[in-house]
Amino acid sequence: MKDETRISLDEELAKLSRDVSPPRDLWPGVVRGIVRAPRSAPRLASAPWMAYAASVAALCLAAALIWVMVYGRPPLSATGPATAANPPAGVAPTAGTTALPGVGASFGEPSDPHYLAARAELERTFNQRLAQLDPATRAKIEADLASIRKARDDIRQALATQPDSPVLEQLLASSLHDEFDLYEDVVRTTQPTSART
Amino acid sequence: MGSVQHLHLADIGDEDVEPAAVIAAAVEGDLAAFEALYRRFAPRLYGLCLRLTGQREAAEDCVQESFVAAWRGLGRFEKRSRFSTWLQRIAIRTVISRRRGLRNVHEVGEPAGGLPDRPDPDSGAPPLDLERAIAALPEGARDVLVLVGIYGFSHAEAASALGVAEGTCKAQLHRARGLLSAALGLEES
Repeated sequence: MKDETRISLDEELAKLSRDVSPPRDLWPGVVRGIVRAPRSAPRLASAPWMAYAASVAALCLAAALIWVMVYGRPPLSATGPATAANPPAGVAPTAGTTALPGVGASFGEPSDPHYLAARAELERTFNQRLAQLDPATRAKIEADLASIRKARDDIRQALATQPDSPVLEQLLASSLHDEFDLYEDVVRTTQPTSART
Repeated sequence: MGSVQHLHLADIGDEDVEPAAVIAAAVEGDLAAFEALYRRFAPRLYGLCLRLTGQREAAEDCVQESFVAAWRGLGRFEKRSRFSTWLQRIAIRTVISRRRGLRNVHEVGEPAGGLPDRPDPDSGAPPLDLERAIAALPEGARDVLVLVGIYGFSHAEAASALGVAEGTCKAQLHRARGLLSAALGLEES
């Protein structure tokens, strides 16, 4: 009886498929993990766009404060005219452009080809999903993305005068993380229900 | 990224054949090749992690962490071992590390959450009751049953992966069988 039970149990176990398709595509998260060092920041579980608005606002404020520290006055708005003291840094590249032109020469950003490949892959998926969204949502996301990139450009310019500033380096890294988070939230929230295998 | 070749699942080939060329490309840093490996092996790792953790979200996190760890450790992959086995060992370590972390913050998981909602279409009977019974097993017994009973690890391999003695592994499997038999209404003796 014991052997029969064992055979029966083994047969039942053998019926179980070893492979189970994940309920969503986990690859974007893998790419994000590859691109950047692990962070302990919690995921945004709900209302990602509102959370991003707050995040972007905080980043812009930080960039403005840094600008005041460096130049003695706040930067012009993203739509404001460019001047010698305030160069046109806020022209955000359109979604789908090559990731971070001059990334290798910028402050603190990896120029490693693996990093660049991973980042390009993440951007590619993001752009595909972004194109599927309704125009109003897409415009909101693009505005958030432009704000993040504007803040990052401001921080870069500040870094040009204070290249050893750890605060600026941290802000720059934070802006990159915000951009990655935005990418991943768009990818995650537009994930088809059927998993890819 | 001009150096990145575009690889598809078709490049991976038969399930039982290790895709050596794709693995080699991934080792060289080809992200497209690594994505092809992800597409091939993610269901295996997800199934393993889901059964070890009993939670969908935890399993998803573990799969992602495992592939990130694999990418970083590809240079250390020894080609004489199977890539799938190497990946599964990484996943097991990831699950165990996660458990230790959760214990440290006194987080309690929900057993049996996120189990497959469909039976294996190729099997004759719905295995969901069995899946739930496995998920309800004590951790040590479940680990060994999943590795040895479902994923075909030898006792030595399972013991090594779990960091326990081989005798412990055998004892846990015996215990798991007894508990499963009782849970499923099978006579043990």
